[in-house]
Amino acid sequence: MNADNRYNRQIILPEIGENGQQKLAAAKVLVIGAGGLGAAILPYLASAGVGEIGIVDHDVIEVSNLQRQVIYKTDAVGKSKAKEAKVMISDLNPLVKVKAIAEKLSGKNALSLFYNYDIIVDATDNIAIKYLINDACLVANKPMVYGSIFRFQGQVSVFNYQDGPTYRCLYPEENLDTLNCEEAGVLGVSVGIIGMFQANEVLKMILGIGEVLSGKILVYDTLHNEQQKYDFDKSDFQTISREAFEEKYNKAEIEEVNFEFVLDEINKDEILFIDIRNIDESPKISFKNQIQIPLMNLEKEIERLDKNQVIYVFCQSGIRSKIAVELLQKHRFKNIKSIAGGALAMKQLLTTEINL
Amino acid sequence: MIEVKYFGAVAEKTKCEFEKLSFSEEVSLQKLLQDLNEKYAFESLTFRVAVNQKIVSKTSDYTLQTSDIVALLPPFAGG
Repeated sequence: MNADNRYNRQIILPEIGENGQQKLAAAKVLVIGAGGLGAAILPYLASAGVGEIGIVDHDVIEVSNLQRQVIYKTDAVGKSKAKEAKVMISDLNPLVKVKAIAEKLSGKNALSLFYNYDIIVDATDNIAIKYLINDACLVANKPMVYGSIFRFQGQVSVFNYQDGPTYRCLYPEENLDTLNCEEAGVLGVSVGIIGMFQANEVLKMILGIGEVLSGKILVYDTLHNEQQKYDFDKSDFQTISREAFEEKYNKAEIEEVNFEFVLDEINKDEILFIDIRNIDESPKISFKNQIQIPLMNLEKEIERLDKNQVIYVFCQSGIRSKIAVELLQKHRFKNIKSIAGGALAMKQLLTTEINL
Repeated sequence: MIEVKYFGAVAEKTKCEFEKLSFSEEVSLQKLLQDLNEKYAFESLTFRVAVNQKIVSKTSDYTLQTSDIVALLPPFAGG
Protein backbone atom coordinates (compact mmCIF):
# COMPACT_ATOMS: atom_id res chain seq x y z
CA MET A 1 0.00 0.00 0.00
CA ASN A 2 1.30 3.41 -0.94
CA ALA A 3 1.21 5.51 2.19
CA ASP A 4 2.13 8.70 0.33
CA ASN A 5 -0.85 8.37 -1.90
CA ARG A 6 -3.19 7.64 0.97
CA TYR A 7 -2.25 10.89 2.69
CA ASN A 8 -1.55 12.95 -0.44
CA ARG A 9 -4.35 15.49 0.02
CA GLN A 10 -3.10 16.51 3.43
CA ILE A 11 0.60 16.23 2.63
CA ILE A 12 0.17 18.82 -0.11
CA LEU A 13 -1.00 21.31 2.51
CA PRO A 14 2.01 23.54 3.17
CA GLU A 15 1.26 23.41 6.92
CA ILE A 16 1.57 19.62 6.95
CA GLY A 17 3.88 18.19 4.28
CA GLU A 18 5.95 15.00 4.65
CA ASN A 19 7.27 16.25 7.94
CA GLY A 20 3.78 16.69 9.38
CA GLN A 21 2.79 13.26 8.16
CA GLN A 22 5.75 11.77 10.02
CA LYS A 23 4.64 13.58 13.17
CA LEU A 24 1.20 12.02 12.80
CA ALA A 25 2.69 8.56 12.29
CA ALA A 26 4.76 8.96 15.45
CA ALA A 27 1.83 10.16 17.59
CA LYS A 28 0.04 8.06 20.18
CA VAL A 29 -3.47 9.09 21.14
CA LEU A 30 -5.71 7.54 23.78
CA VAL A 31 -9.44 8.06 23.30
CA ILE A 32 -11.54 7.43 26.38
CA GLY A 33 -15.09 6.60 25.44
CA ALA A 34 -16.16 5.10 22.12
CA GLY A 35 -19.65 6.62 22.21
CA GLY A 36 -21.01 9.60 20.29
CA LEU A 37 -17.89 11.76 20.57
CA GLY A 38 -15.55 8.82 20.05
CA ALA A 39 -17.45 7.74 16.95
CA ALA A 40 -16.60 11.11 15.36
CA ILE A 41 -13.04 11.38 16.67
CA LEU A 42 -11.74 7.87 15.98
CA PRO A 43 -12.28 7.55 12.21
CA TYR A 44 -10.75 10.98 11.55
CA LEU A 45 -7.66 10.32 13.65
CA ALA A 46 -7.25 6.94 11.99
CA SER A 47 -7.76 8.19 8.43
CA ALA A 48 -5.29 11.05 9.00
CA GLY A 49 -2.66 8.46 9.91
CA VAL A 50 -2.18 8.88 13.66
CA GLY A 51 0.33 6.10 14.37
CA GLU A 52 -1.13 4.58 17.48
CA ILE A 53 -4.65 4.81 18.86
CA GLY A 54 -5.92 3.35 22.13
CA ILE A 55 -9.65 3.04 22.79
CA VAL A 56 -10.97 2.68 26.32
CA ASP A 57 -14.60 1.66 26.71
CA HIS A 58 -16.15 -1.10 28.79
CA ASP A 59 -19.65 -0.75 27.31
CA VAL A 60 -21.40 -2.91 24.75
CA ILE A 61 -23.28 -1.46 21.79
CA GLU A 62 -26.99 -0.90 22.34
CA VAL A 63 -29.55 -0.26 19.65
CA SER A 64 -30.28 3.20 21.16
CA ASN A 65 -26.61 4.14 20.57
CA LEU A 66 -26.82 3.79 16.80
CA GLN A 67 -28.48 7.17 16.04
CA ARG A 68 -25.26 8.93 17.08
CA GLN A 69 -22.51 6.33 17.35
CA VAL A 70 -22.32 5.99 13.60
CA ILE A 71 -19.26 3.73 13.39
CA TYR A 72 -21.30 0.74 14.61
CA LYS A 73 -23.53 -1.42 12.48
CA THR A 74 -26.90 -2.75 13.54
CA ASP A 75 -25.68 -6.34 13.70
CA ALA A 76 -22.96 -5.30 16.19
CA VAL A 77 -25.52 -4.67 18.94
CA GLY A 78 -24.37 -6.50 22.05
CA LYS A 79 -20.68 -6.44 21.07
CA SER A 80 -17.88 -4.53 22.82
CA LYS A 81 -17.59 -0.93 21.67
CA ALA A 82 -13.81 -0.86 22.08
CA LYS A 83 -13.37 -4.03 20.02
CA GLU A 84 -15.81 -2.99 17.29
CA ALA A 85 -14.16 0.44 17.07
CA LYS A 86 -10.83 -1.31 16.64
CA VAL A 87 -12.22 -3.38 13.74
CA MET A 88 -13.57 -0.20 12.13
CA ILE A 89 -10.18 1.54 12.41
CA SER A 90 -8.25 -1.43 11.05
CA ASP A 91 -10.59 -1.62 8.06
CA LEU A 92 -10.30 2.11 7.48
CA ASN A 93 -6.53 2.35 7.82
CA PRO A 94 -4.46 -0.79 8.43
CA LEU A 95 -1.35 1.37 8.94
CA VAL A 96 -2.66 2.46 12.35
CA LYS A 97 -1.71 0.41 15.37
CA VAL A 98 -4.88 0.09 17.47
CA LYS A 99 -5.41 -1.18 20.96
CA ALA A 100 -8.89 -1.92 22.30
CA ILE A 101 -9.08 -1.64 26.07
CA ALA A 102 -12.49 -2.99 27.06
CA GLU A 103 -12.17 -1.87 30.67
CA LYS A 104 -13.74 0.82 32.75
CA LEU A 105 -11.30 3.65 33.32
CA SER A 106 -10.51 3.84 37.02
CA GLY A 107 -7.92 5.11 39.46
CA LYS A 108 -6.26 1.72 39.14
CA ASN A 109 -5.63 1.66 35.37
CA ALA A 110 -5.65 5.37 34.41
CA LEU A 111 -2.03 6.26 35.10
CA SER A 112 -0.48 3.14 33.58
CA LEU A 113 -2.57 3.68 30.44
CA PHE A 114 -1.88 7.41 30.17
CA TYR A 115 1.89 6.99 30.39
CA ASN A 116 1.81 5.09 27.07
CA TYR A 117 0.23 7.91 25.06
CA ASP A 118 1.02 11.53 24.14
CA ILE A 119 -2.50 12.94 24.10
CA ILE A 120 -5.56 11.89 26.10
CA VAL A 121 -8.98 12.55 24.59
CA ASP A 122 -11.98 12.79 26.88
CA ALA A 123 -14.91 11.43 24.87
CA THR A 124 -16.83 10.30 27.93
CA ASP A 125 -20.33 11.13 29.05
CA ASN A 126 -20.05 11.53 32.76
CA ILE A 127 -18.66 14.19 35.03
CA ALA A 128 -16.96 11.95 37.58
CA ILE A 129 -14.81 10.34 34.85
CA LYS A 130 -13.88 13.78 33.53
CA TYR A 131 -12.37 14.68 36.91
CA LEU A 132 -10.55 11.34 36.99
CA ILE A 133 -9.13 11.95 33.49
CA ASN A 134 -8.15 15.49 34.45
CA ASP A 135 -6.38 14.38 37.61
CA ALA A 136 -4.61 11.47 35.92
CA CYS A 137 -3.49 13.82 33.11
CA LEU A 138 -2.02 16.14 35.72
CA VAL A 139 -0.11 13.33 37.41
CA ALA A 140 1.05 11.78 34.11
CA ASN A 141 1.67 15.25 32.59
CA LYS A 142 -0.46 14.72 29.48
CA PRO A 143 -2.78 17.15 27.68
CA MET A 144 -6.51 16.38 27.84
CA VAL A 145 -8.75 17.17 24.91
CA TYR A 146 -12.17 17.77 26.42
CA GLY A 147 -15.57 17.69 24.76
CA SER A 148 -19.10 17.45 26.06
CA ILE A 149 -22.65 18.07 25.06
CA PHE A 150 -25.86 19.41 26.50
CA ARG A 151 -28.69 18.91 24.01
CA PHE A 152 -27.89 21.31 21.10
CA GLN A 153 -24.83 22.87 22.71
CA GLY A 154 -21.32 21.59 23.10
CA GLN A 155 -18.10 22.55 24.86
CA VAL A 156 -14.54 21.93 23.71
CA SER A 157 -11.26 22.74 25.40
CA VAL A 158 -7.72 21.46 25.84
CA PHE A 159 -6.55 21.14 29.42
CA ASN A 160 -3.09 20.79 30.91
CA TYR A 161 -1.48 21.69 27.59
CA GLN A 162 2.06 22.94 28.13
CA ASP A 163 1.30 23.56 31.78
CA GLY A 164 -1.92 25.41 30.90
CA PRO A 165 -5.17 25.50 32.89
CA THR A 166 -7.02 22.28 33.75
CA TYR A 167 -10.62 21.15 33.97
CA ARG A 168 -10.55 21.94 37.68
CA CYS A 169 -9.48 25.51 36.91
CA LEU A 170 -12.70 25.81 34.89
CA TYR A 171 -14.99 23.79 37.16
CA PRO A 172 -13.44 23.32 40.61
CA GLU A 173 -16.59 21.91 42.19
CA GLU A 174 -17.44 18.32 41.42
CA ASN A 175 -21.16 18.66 40.85
CA LEU A 176 -22.09 15.17 39.76
CA ASP A 177 -25.73 15.98 38.92
CA THR A 178 -24.98 17.27 35.43
CA LEU A 179 -27.13 15.53 32.81
CA ASN A 180 -25.63 13.24 30.15
CA CYS A 181 -27.07 12.35 26.72
CA GLU A 182 -29.11 9.44 27.96
CA GLU A 183 -30.91 11.71 30.39
CA ALA A 184 -30.99 14.95 28.39
CA GLY A 185 -31.37 13.64 24.83
CA VAL A 186 -29.16 14.53 21.88
CA LEU A 187 -29.13 14.61 18.10
CA GLY A 188 -26.32 12.61 16.48
CA VAL A 189 -24.94 15.55 14.50
CA SER A 190 -24.42 17.65 17.65
CA VAL A 191 -22.06 15.11 19.23
CA GLY A 192 -20.49 14.58 15.82
CA ILE A 193 -19.67 18.29 15.47
CA ILE A 194 -18.12 18.50 18.94
CA GLY A 195 -16.16 15.26 18.42
CA MET A 196 -14.84 16.73 15.18
CA PHE A 197 -13.66 19.85 17.01
CA GLN A 198 -11.80 17.56 19.42
CA ALA A 199 -10.18 15.57 16.60
CA ASN A 200 -9.14 18.89 15.05
CA GLU A 201 -7.42 19.98 18.29
CA VAL A 202 -5.62 16.62 18.50
CA LEU A 203 -4.29 16.95 14.94
CA LYS A 204 -3.26 20.60 15.50
CA MET A 205 -1.34 19.65 18.63
CA ILE A 206 0.48 16.82 16.87
CA LEU A 207 1.27 18.95 13.83
CA GLY A 208 2.09 22.07 15.81
CA ILE A 209 -0.16 24.25 13.68
CA GLY A 210 -2.76 26.87 14.54
CA GLU A 211 -3.69 27.85 18.03
CA VAL A 212 -4.61 25.15 20.53
CA LEU A 213 -7.75 25.74 22.65
CA SER A 214 -5.76 25.99 25.85
CA GLY A 215 -7.06 28.39 28.52
CA LYS A 216 -10.17 28.82 26.39
CA ILE A 217 -13.45 27.01 26.26
CA LEU A 218 -15.35 26.95 23.01
CA VAL A 219 -19.11 26.79 23.31
CA TYR A 220 -20.98 25.83 20.16
CA ASP A 221 -24.71 26.14 19.63
CA THR A 222 -25.90 23.99 16.74
CA LEU A 223 -29.40 25.49 16.61
CA HIS A 224 -28.16 29.02 15.93
CA ASN A 225 -24.71 28.22 14.50
CA GLU A 226 -23.22 30.43 17.15
CA GLN A 227 -19.85 29.86 18.65
CA GLN A 228 -18.19 31.68 21.50
CA LYS A 229 -14.79 31.34 23.10
CA TYR A 230 -14.31 32.16 26.75
CA ASP A 231 -10.90 32.67 28.33
CA PHE A 232 -10.09 31.27 31.73
CA ASP A 233 -7.00 31.35 33.94
CA LYS A 234 -4.94 28.69 35.58
CA SER A 235 -5.69 28.32 39.26
CA ASP A 236 -2.78 27.58 41.57
CA PHE A 237 -4.91 25.37 43.75
CA GLN A 238 -5.82 22.84 41.12
CA THR A 239 -2.73 20.64 41.02
CA ILE A 240 -2.64 17.08 42.27
CA SER A 241 0.30 14.96 43.39
CA ARG A 242 0.68 11.24 42.76
CA GLU A 243 0.05 10.62 46.47
CA ALA A 244 -3.11 12.72 46.48
CA PHE A 245 -4.30 10.89 43.35
CA GLU A 246 -3.80 7.48 44.96
CA GLU A 247 -5.49 8.69 48.13
CA LYS A 248 -8.49 10.05 46.21
CA TYR A 249 -9.05 7.24 43.73
CA ASN A 250 -7.41 4.12 45.11
CA LYS A 251 -8.38 4.15 48.72
CA ALA A 252 -8.93 0.53 49.68
CA GLU A 253 -12.53 -0.21 50.40
CA ILE A 254 -13.46 -1.38 53.85
CA GLU A 255 -15.16 -4.70 53.61
CA GLU A 256 -17.84 -5.59 56.09
CA VAL A 257 -19.11 -9.06 56.78
CA ASN A 258 -22.10 -10.33 58.72
CA PHE A 259 -21.09 -12.56 61.60
CA GLU A 260 -23.46 -15.34 60.59
CA PHE A 261 -21.43 -15.89 57.40
CA VAL A 262 -18.22 -16.45 59.36
CA LEU A 263 -19.66 -18.44 62.26
CA ASP A 264 -18.05 -21.63 61.00
CA GLU A 265 -14.65 -19.92 61.04
CA ILE A 266 -14.71 -19.70 64.79
CA ASN A 267 -12.02 -21.89 66.37
CA LYS A 268 -10.21 -22.38 63.07
CA ASP A 269 -6.50 -21.82 63.63
CA GLU A 270 -5.80 -20.22 60.28
CA ILE A 271 -8.35 -17.46 60.96
CA LEU A 272 -8.00 -14.66 63.51
CA PHE A 273 -10.71 -12.57 65.16
CA ILE A 274 -9.52 -9.37 66.83
CA ASP A 275 -11.62 -7.63 69.47
CA ILE A 276 -10.44 -4.03 69.36
CA ARG A 277 -12.63 -2.87 72.25
CA ASN A 278 -11.17 -1.75 75.54
CA ILE A 279 -10.69 -4.47 78.16
CA ASP A 280 -13.59 -3.22 80.30
CA GLU A 281 -16.26 -3.37 77.60
CA SER A 282 -18.96 -6.00 77.66
CA PRO A 283 -20.48 -8.30 76.55
CA LYS A 284 -17.32 -10.37 76.69
CA ILE A 285 -16.72 -12.50 73.65
CA SER A 286 -14.13 -15.19 73.67
CA PHE A 287 -13.28 -18.22 71.63
CA LYS A 288 -10.11 -20.03 70.68
CA ASN A 289 -8.96 -17.99 67.65
CA GLN A 290 -9.87 -14.61 69.12
CA ILE A 291 -7.56 -12.07 70.71
CA GLN A 292 -8.11 -8.64 72.17
CA ILE A 293 -6.05 -5.61 71.17
CA PRO A 294 -7.69 -2.29 72.06
CA LEU A 295 -7.76 0.06 69.07
CA MET A 296 -5.40 2.53 70.74
CA ASN A 297 -2.73 -0.19 71.02
CA LEU A 298 -3.28 -1.73 67.60
CA GLU A 299 -0.55 0.15 65.75
CA LYS A 300 1.99 -0.62 68.48
CA GLU A 301 1.22 -4.32 68.44
CA ILE A 302 0.91 -4.63 64.68
CA GLU A 303 4.16 -6.62 64.48
CA ARG A 304 2.45 -9.51 66.27
CA LEU A 305 0.06 -9.98 63.38
CA ASP A 306 0.45 -11.81 60.08
CA LYS A 307 -0.27 -9.55 57.09
CA ASN A 308 -1.47 -12.43 54.95
CA GLN A 309 -3.80 -14.01 57.49
CA VAL A 310 -7.57 -13.75 57.18
CA ILE A 311 -8.52 -11.40 60.02
CA TYR A 312 -11.98 -10.33 61.20
CA VAL A 313 -12.04 -7.22 63.34
CA PHE A 314 -14.88 -6.36 65.67
CA CYS A 315 -15.76 -3.68 68.21
CA GLN A 316 -18.98 -2.99 70.10
CA SER A 317 -21.23 -2.01 67.20
CA GLY A 318 -19.11 -2.07 64.04
CA ILE A 319 -17.91 1.54 63.82
CA ARG A 320 -14.47 1.51 65.44
CA SER A 321 -13.65 -1.77 63.73
CA LYS A 322 -13.78 0.04 60.37
CA ILE A 323 -11.11 2.42 61.62
CA ALA A 324 -9.05 -0.60 62.63
CA VAL A 325 -9.51 -2.16 59.17
CA GLU A 326 -8.37 1.08 57.54
CA LEU A 327 -5.32 1.16 59.79
CA LEU A 328 -4.39 -2.44 59.01
CA GLN A 329 -4.91 -1.90 55.28
CA LYS A 330 -2.57 1.06 55.47
CA HIS A 331 0.01 -1.35 56.87
CA ARG A 332 -0.61 -3.59 53.85
CA PHE A 333 -2.68 -6.26 55.53
CA LYS A 334 -4.46 -8.09 52.75
CA ASN A 335 -7.45 -9.99 54.12
CA ILE A 336 -9.12 -7.77 56.69
CA LYS A 337 -12.84 -7.47 57.22
CA SER A 338 -14.94 -5.67 59.78
CA ILE A 339 -17.80 -7.54 61.46
CA ALA A 340 -21.05 -5.62 60.94
CA GLY A 341 -22.90 -4.80 64.14
CA GLY A 342 -19.87 -5.73 66.27
CA ALA A 343 -19.97 -7.63 69.57
CA LEU A 344 -23.63 -6.85 70.17
CA ALA A 345 -24.67 -8.66 66.99
CA MET A 346 -22.16 -11.45 67.64
CA LYS A 347 -23.29 -12.10 71.18
CA GLN A 348 -26.87 -12.45 70.07
CA LEU A 349 -25.95 -14.96 67.40
CA LEU A 350 -23.56 -16.87 69.64
CA THR A 351 -26.17 -17.38 72.35
CA THR A 352 -28.87 -18.49 69.94
CA GLU A 353 -26.76 -20.59 67.56
CA ILE A 354 -24.18 -22.22 69.76
CA ASN A 355 -23.63 -22.12 73.42
CA LEU A 356 -20.04 -21.24 74.04
CA MET B 1 -28.31 47.61 28.81
CA ILE B 2 -26.45 44.59 30.01
CA GLU B 3 -26.84 41.41 28.03
CA VAL B 4 -26.89 38.13 29.92
CA LYS B 5 -26.44 34.84 28.03
CA TYR B 6 -27.53 31.51 29.45
CA PHE B 7 -26.24 28.11 28.46
CA GLY B 8 -27.07 24.45 29.08
CA ALA B 9 -28.90 23.63 32.29
CA VAL B 10 -28.92 27.33 33.27
CA ALA B 11 -30.94 28.20 30.14
CA GLU B 12 -33.39 25.44 31.08
CA LYS B 13 -34.04 27.31 34.33
CA THR B 14 -34.30 30.76 32.80
CA LYS B 15 -36.35 29.44 29.86
CA CYS B 16 -34.50 31.85 27.57
CA GLU B 17 -31.05 31.96 26.00
CA PHE B 18 -30.38 35.60 26.64
CA GLU B 19 -31.97 38.72 28.01
CA LYS B 20 -31.15 42.40 28.15
CA LEU B 21 -31.41 44.09 31.49
CA SER B 22 -31.32 47.76 32.26
CA PHE B 23 -30.48 49.24 35.63
CA SER B 24 -31.21 52.75 36.83
CA GLU B 25 -28.00 52.87 38.82
CA GLU B 26 -24.59 51.21 38.84
CA VAL B 27 -24.72 47.51 39.47
CA SER B 28 -21.98 45.14 40.53
CA LEU B 29 -21.53 41.66 39.09
CA GLN B 30 -22.31 40.20 42.50
CA LYS B 31 -25.57 42.13 42.72
CA LEU B 32 -26.57 41.01 39.21
CA LEU B 33 -25.92 37.37 40.11
CA GLN B 34 -27.85 37.75 43.33
CA ASP B 35 -30.83 39.23 41.46
CA LEU B 36 -30.73 36.48 38.86
CA ASN B 37 -30.57 33.84 41.56
CA GLU B 38 -33.62 35.33 43.25
CA LYS B 39 -35.48 35.46 39.95
CA TYR B 40 -34.57 31.97 38.70
CA ALA B 41 -33.59 29.97 41.81
CA PHE B 42 -30.42 28.41 40.40
CA GLU B 43 -29.87 26.70 43.76
CA SER B 44 -27.40 23.83 43.39
CA LEU B 45 -26.65 24.47 39.71
CA THR B 46 -22.93 24.75 39.05
CA PHE B 47 -21.84 27.41 36.58
CA ARG B 48 -19.02 29.83 35.86
CA VAL B 49 -19.54 33.44 34.97
CA ALA B 50 -17.88 35.27 32.10
CA VAL B 51 -17.85 38.99 31.48
CA ASN B 52 -17.03 39.92 27.90
CA GLN B 53 -15.73 36.43 27.08
CA LYS B 54 -13.49 36.22 30.12
CA ILE B 55 -14.34 33.86 32.98
CA VAL B 56 -14.14 35.64 36.31
CA SER B 57 -14.81 34.81 39.96
CA LYS B 58 -18.46 35.19 40.98
CA THR B 59 -17.27 37.18 43.95
CA SER B 60 -15.00 39.49 41.98
CA ASP B 61 -15.46 43.15 42.69
CA TYR B 62 -16.60 44.43 39.32
CA THR B 63 -19.03 47.18 38.40
CA LEU B 64 -20.87 46.29 35.22
CA GLN B 65 -20.64 48.71 32.33
CA THR B 66 -23.44 49.26 29.83
CA SER B 67 -22.79 47.05 26.82
CA ASP B 68 -21.12 44.37 28.96
CA ILE B 69 -22.05 40.83 28.03
CA VAL B 70 -22.31 38.40 30.91
CA ALA B 71 -22.51 34.64 30.30
CA LEU B 72 -23.49 31.87 32.71
CA LEU B 73 -21.69 28.68 31.76
CA PRO B 74 -22.57 25.38 33.42
CA PRO B 75 -20.53 22.22 32.78
CA PHE B 76 -21.91 19.78 30.21
CA ALA B 77 -21.65 16.03 30.58
CA GLY B 78 -23.06 14.39 27.46
CA GLY B 79 -21.00 12.57 24.93
